[in-house]
Amino acid sequence: MAKHHVTATVNGDVVEFLCETRQSLLDVLRDELNLTGTKEGCGTGDCGACSVTIDGRLMCSCLVLGVEAEGKAIQTIEGMAAGKDLHPLQRQFLEHAALQCGICTPGILIAARSLLERNPDPTEDEVRYWLAGNLCRCTGYHKIVDAVLDAAREMRRP
Amino acid sequence: MSRASGRVTRHGSRVAGVRTPARVVFTGDFGDRYTGGVKEFAIEAKNLRGVIKALDALYPGLGEHLEKETTVAIDGEIHEVGYYQPVRPGCEIFFIPKIEGG
Amino acid sequence: MSTRLKPEEKKLKVVGTRPLRPDGVPKVTGIARYGADYSAPGMLWGRILRSPHAHARIRSIDTSKAQALPGVKAVMTSADLPEQKFEYVGPERVAVNFWHMTRNIMAREKVFYEGHAVAAVAAISKSTAEEALRLIEVDYEVLPHVIDVEEAMRPDAPLLFEDMITRGIDPAPDRPSNISKRLEFKIGDLDAGFAAADEIVEASLKTAPVHQGYLEPQACLARFDPDGQAEVWASSQGHFVIRALTAKLLGMEMGNLRVHPAEIGGGFGGKNVPYVEPVALALSRKTGHPVKIVMSREEVFKACGPAPGSSMTVRIGVRKDGKIVAADGVFKFQAGAFPGSPVMNACMCAFAPYDIPNVRSVGYDVVCNRPKTAAYRAPGSPVSAYAVESVVDMAAARIGMDPLQFRLQNIARPGTPTVWGPKHTHEGFTETIQALMKHPGYRAPLGRNQGRGVASGYWFNNGGESSAAVHVNEDGTVVVATGSADLSGTRASLAMMAAETLGIDYDKVRPIVADTASIGYGHLAAGSRTTFATGIAVVEACKKVIDNLRARAAMIWDVSAEDVIWEDGCARPAGGSKGRFEPLSLKAIAAKRGVTGGPIVAEVSVNAGGVAPGFATELCDVEVDPETGQVKVLRFVAAQDVGRAIHPSYVEGQIQGGAAQGIGWALNEEYIYDEAGRLTNAGFLDYRVPVASDLPRIETVLVEVPNPNHPFGVKGVGEANIVPSLAAVSNAVSHAIGRRMTELPMSPPKILKALSSER
Repeated sequence: MAKHHVTATVNGDVVEFLCETRQSLLDVLRDELNLTGTKEGCGTGDCGACSVTIDGRLMCSCLVLGVEAEGKAIQTIEGMAAGKDLHPLQRQFLEHAALQCGICTPGILIAARSLLERNPDPTEDEVRYWLAGNLCRCTGYHKIVDAVLDAAREMRRP
Repeated sequence: MSRASGRVTRHGSRVAGVRTPARVVFTGDFGDRYTGGVKEFAIEAKNLRGVIKALDALYPGLGEHLEKETTVAIDGEIHEVGYYQPVRPGCEIFFIPKIEGG
Repeated sequence: MSTRLKPEEKKLKVVGTRPLRPDGVPKVTGIARYGADYSAPGMLWGRILRSPHAHARIRSIDTSKAQALPGVKAVMTSADLPEQKFEYVGPERVAVNFWHMTRNIMAREKVFYEGHAVAAVAAISKSTAEEALRLIEVDYEVLPHVIDVEEAMRPDAPLLFEDMITRGIDPAPDRPSNISKRLEFKIGDLDAGFAAADEIVEASLKTAPVHQGYLEPQACLARFDPDGQAEVWASSQGHFVIRALTAKLLGMEMGNLRVHPAEIGGGFGGKNVPYVEPVALALSRKTGHPVKIVMSREEVFKACGPAPGSSMTVRIGVRKDGKIVAADGVFKFQAGAFPGSPVMNACMCAFAPYDIPNVRSVGYDVVCNRPKTAAYRAPGSPVSAYAVESVVDMAAARIGMDPLQFRLQNIARPGTPTVWGPKHTHEGFTETIQALMKHPGYRAPLGRNQGRGVASGYWFNNGGESSAAVHVNEDGTVVVATGSADLSGTRASLAMMAAETLGIDYDKVRPIVADTASIGYGHLAAGSRTTFATGIAVVEACKKVIDNLRARAAMIWDVSAEDVIWEDGCARPAGGSKGRFEPLSLKAIAAKRGVTGGPIVAEVSVNAGGVAPGFATELCDVEVDPETGQVKVLRFVAAQDVGRAIHPSYVEGQIQGGAAQGIGWALNEEYIYDEAGRLTNAGFLDYRVPVASDLPRIETVLVEVPNPNHPFGVKGVGEANIVPSLAAVSNAVSHAIGRRMTELPMSPPKILKALSSER
């Protein structure tokens, strides 16, 4: 079965790749484009570790086929920092020790950024419900919530 | 035949100023498995190496099991089994199942 | 925010502060490499074929069609791994038996659980490998299965092993059973004890099996070269242990295997043992190519070791004045397919927090048709604590005493005997309970359908073997290398202890986790041992480096080493009368290393003892919806004696994480099997772990009663926090609905059932 040729934009750069029909966007990012920052925790859209944005929309990349990326703009964790400048969310996560093993962190950062793009001043409840699709087994979410709220505060400053 | 607890009297050299023996106890079923149910001993030694050697002399092969399968509590303080561990006269030594966590 | 309670102040510059972790930027930018993030040129993909049956004899395996598929480079079965001797070796508590272990890695005569590995393939792509699996023909003779621990113990239960005679019973039984072992610990006189009681409280309780729930499935890359040298990149909690076990399972010399520690995405005890490494290595050996295996989430649930389910009975005798006079517990644990549940830990920890003169713990290790259990955060202790702390709660209520006051009245102190013999030697239990009693949450009012539960819990913690190497770089920065996998920030704590000892800035220290060929042996990053034992090795190595630096300074100044002190990161002359010399920094001395003897390095190894146990006391407030049975956790406060918090943020994080796992264990998590013994919820949708919207803020109270056997007073913190959490939640729910809950998880259907029953 011949592979498909797909052209998309990843983190602002045009990329081309070949993929099988059955390969998910997650498989493509990790195995074809060597962008291993996006993680597989479950493969069935239940844990959020594979979160990316596609044309600005937060999605689980394990639930999207590689071929569906044709012509789309995809943002992964590797594109979150602006060159050598960390995003306020990344900095606050480090300050707050909002990561322990760190495997859920890329997905949560992508999800949190998506929240703050829509709602720059969320309540704690709004943060918790938005992040309900991102599992973390190490932290109990307490410091993650604090980090997101502080990043929101920082980003609201003129 | 299994004895719930047996006493083995002082094992060690008789010299002037003889040391008060340490009370050595096996916990769990270590005694049932290797010493026919005997769980308590009075052993004279300067360090744990001496204790293990004395027990091995009573039950050949026991020393190897003690080293590989147990952790030791000396007066309640937990240590890995090490030859160099000092043994105070009259102290209490428990060989307990080796600890592992998660 | 957390509260820290210190009985004494000490002037420390780095320890106790909250610097950024050195592996933080790679983790927030996606650069850090976990087990599945490694690749190699010419790499093949490995996939494992797993049994669809809970219990079956393997009549034959035909791999010919799979072998013939284009793109398949090798197919393996258990025939590609050497047979192992049947013998229980090493720590009896963990029951290592390589005859069992090799069969768990890949089945031989029988499959013992749905998901049991039967064969594996290596192919040029994931999809080719999966297609090859479908072409392997296995002829099974399906057998009846048994899963529940009480059912597995029945004399007519289907047997997993026809020759399993229960150990620990004298005389030995004359018939085989699924009971691998019986154990008993006892002190005092139970009959006399219960006879002296004014009230006797008893309950029978059950828990369902749960999974550690680490987000990162097991994964590795393995390469076995034609000259017999091999390398593995894998995430684990102990690459030295993985090396030893994998080499034995492959029948190769351990020294020919080098294991590189990938970053690890959660372990909690579940990654103390290998699963994919021996398979990937065997496939690599067969193909001459590197092989990568990544488990799916479904495979993780179906084949990787979970925590055992249990059936327990606890009886406590108490006097009207609040003194516990006797206690008796029976703990039956599911070991899964092969013996080795943590029932011994459960027996030992169950009553450990208390001073009870007459105590007995009896444990049963029972095999059944589900995956072999592995460690899960203070393995065994949270389960037995659930039973004991539930009955303690009932006893306190029976005599009308405040539950924390009741525990305080009976608390163990130095000199209190344990049920396994030695006396307690460390302080801290009393202070922890007192800290929780003082917390404002304990007096906060409760509303309708709300309830408050408290519980305490004990965990041994651990010492053991660790090595640390400290090198001074030419620019005066310092490398600290250890073999301790960093699950959650220990790299940072080790660097902090090094910086404090050397008297230099934290950001001059580079901590790394070195591979098996680059550092001396380090035991598992488990059992709450790293900051304690590896910390001791790091501090000792730094002290050796300091002696070395003083000797170098002495040479530079042409004085004797006794005339040189090390203070605030510099060599200084000892006392004014020894001559006036400018202080020499690490950088200055390093610049002169050549003429003073060469590179400045030290490596130290320890077999650390003097461990202080972990102890936590927790409070949980819940609200139960009487219509749906749903439980909302309103408040959770955890007080834990941490000895000294090296990096308070990571200590708080450990406590919060353990509490969260306990809440999930108590309310929602369980393995659900169908009538054929197949797992129906092998994914995160239906194996329901807590999500961000399920949990409140988890308040931590860090009690610091230092351990005198550690240079900074450290007590291990990782595990004790989960121990009381199951009972704290259960006691809270029980009080909220006015009925004693005796089964976990307390999912909504169970709560509704309890509500409809008599009080």
